[in-house]
Amino acid sequence: MKALIPQFLVDFWNGLPQAVQTVTISTTQILVVTVGVILTVAFSTYFERKVIGFMQGRIGPNRVGWRGLLQPFADVIKLLIKEVIVPTRSNRFLFVIAPLLSIVPALATWAVVPLHPEFVIADINAGLLYVLALTSVGVYGVILAGWATNSKYAFLGAMRSAAQIVAYEIAMGFALVGVLMAGGSLNLGDIVEAQAGGVSQWFLIPLLPLFLVYWISGVAETNRAPFDVAEGESEIVAGFHVEYSGVAFAVFFLAEYANMVLISALTAIFFLGGWASPFEGWSFLGEGSFLREPHFFWLAAKIAFFMFTFFWLRATFPRYRYDQIMRLGWKVFIPVTIIWIVVEGIMAWMQIGPWSGLAG
Amino acid sequence: MLEEYLPVLIFLGVSTGIGLVLLGLGFLFGRGQKDAEKLSAYECGFEPFEDSRSRFDVRYYLVAILFIIFDLEIAFLFPWAVSLDTFGAFGLIAMGIFLAILVVGFAFEWKKGALEWD
Amino acid sequence: MFHAILFYAFAAVLIGAALGVIFSKNPVHAVMFLVLAFFQSAVLWLLAEAEFLAIVLVLVYVGAVMVLFLFVVMMLDINVEQVRESFTRYLWLGLVIAGLMIIELVNLVWVKSQDVLGQTGFAATPEGYSNTKALGSVLYTEHVYAFEIAAVILLLAIVAAITLTMRRRPGLKQQNIAKQVSVDPKDRVRVVKMDAERAE
Repeated sequence: MKALIPQFLVDFWNGLPQAVQTVTISTTQILVVTVGVILTVAFSTYFERKVIGFMQGRIGPNRVGWRGLLQPFADVIKLLIKEVIVPTRSNRFLFVIAPLLSIVPALATWAVVPLHPEFVIADINAGLLYVLALTSVGVYGVILAGWATNSKYAFLGAMRSAAQIVAYEIAMGFALVGVLMAGGSLNLGDIVEAQAGGVSQWFLIPLLPLFLVYWISGVAETNRAPFDVAEGESEIVAGFHVEYSGVAFAVFFLAEYANMVLISALTAIFFLGGWASPFEGWSFLGEGSFLREPHFFWLAAKIAFFMFTFFWLRATFPRYRYDQIMRLGWKVFIPVTIIWIVVEGIMAWMQIGPWSGLAG
Repeated sequence: MLEEYLPVLIFLGVSTGIGLVLLGLGFLFGRGQKDAEKLSAYECGFEPFEDSRSRFDVRYYLVAILFIIFDLEIAFLFPWAVSLDTFGAFGLIAMGIFLAILVVGFAFEWKKGALEWD
Repeated sequence: MFHAILFYAFAAVLIGAALGVIFSKNPVHAVMFLVLAFFQSAVLWLLAEAEFLAIVLVLVYVGAVMVLFLFVVMMLDINVEQVRESFTRYLWLGLVIAGLMIIELVNLVWVKSQDVLGQTGFAATPEGYSNTKALGSVLYTEHVYAFEIAAVILLLAIVAAITLTMRRRPGLKQQNIAKQVSVDPKDRVRVVKMDAERAE
């Protein structure tokens, strides 16, 4: 394979200064991952409609392309050529900035997600903190969108959505502190490696309440059903993005689904062992069996599973009322997580569970 | 350590670029005829009754302040969780006192009804 | 070299954003400029190898405090013209205070730290160094008193916020959600089996 590359290109590459080489490699990796994420997002819109359709006893989209597989592309083209309406009394600059502030955190968090045992775009030491910080920035897109459209309904929807996101962020933060105590490092790759060794080593089992809290908070953060009161299609129409049309709406849509894929990936990494295979401890499969190898495929399978549960939840449950949502976030999740952190601290001190064998 | 943050910076730049390109494409291709009806805000077919600044609902302010407090608590918990193996019972008790003080605050909020309604 | 370029670039944007905060006509624009300023500060702190503090700056300040600012600015109808007209009246006082602060800062940063400034760059961090871990190993052992005082300050903030803003509307009926959720279906619905009747 390497012999096929003409010699002058290889010489050109070796002649570039080291800095330019690293920047080019990074940019290529980033573009590959971004395109992958955007394709995943596009097809997840299609799969959502298919899955919900089958659960409701009907076929989803099946007109465009074979079995409807080209539906996302048709949607994208439609949204691109639709007219973008900027309402008269809105603040034009903020109107345009708001979708950007939604999508940049949703995409930029993928820089620290470990996709493969040897591949992570930015192996930073404080990966977990970075993830949490960027999800906090995601709130701005919602608030600014509601404000910039200068419409009562959009503003009300934005405020409620922002208050909901903020309440569940606290629950997520505490759950992640619990994961951190088990993983011992803020680096996401280290957290995945701490779960190596088969299903019994995954954090799912000792940290089960935190897994439930984190995952349900993830559903609430992305404003998905059954927590989608702020964009409830039958109530305040589309909530904070009611005045957005065309590609501006497409960017919000993209950001919402990208957040869903991100939450699925993070749940898989924190609690289900990321790229680790569930068959790792099964020695009867033989050494070096491909089923026991850690690979990106396992992470992709786990992400697909969690995306399916997102669609499943949407098709199954009725919408929560807003005060019920806030009660769940403040009065149920925060006490549960705080108690579990104390329990974990005691477990770590007495060295049971994942901390057995810890020095000190 | 700092070299690993460079891809993060590039990624932020690339995602901003993608967002701007998408928005630019939309504004380029999505031109249409604008008229007064299309540009007015949505209020179920009526003209907006009043200015969109609603009366200041203090519950949102309270939620935001409580969020700041708990976010700071999380920020304090992070270094402790990472360095759990360097101190024994002493660190555990120190954090226990911290959490106890904040649980007192949380109980105060609960009893006062600050976590209701919203 | 690259370090210096990044530093000056982000510092320039920081100063521009700070000027934008002061001179913006729209209060929401001013808040967004402040958010930008915080992002630039976070990058500058990162360049100074304070990794944990930089990300916590974004997490707490941009993620929480600025959201609070944004809520308040959006919900209050601030009359910008009224605020602006007192700008020129008190300009001299502002300049005097700014001058004093500049003198103090120059004194502290430049004059008093002449001996420290001789070194270039930071000490190389050892393998496996984690800024957060280093911070944690010190904060909860040596500085535990300051840490607990921080907890008391946070408690004070909670009590103050609730005391100042909670207003119970009299005669308001609330729903007790815990009771709603724990209801037994047998108490609400009774299924009765009846024979099918023929309509005459």
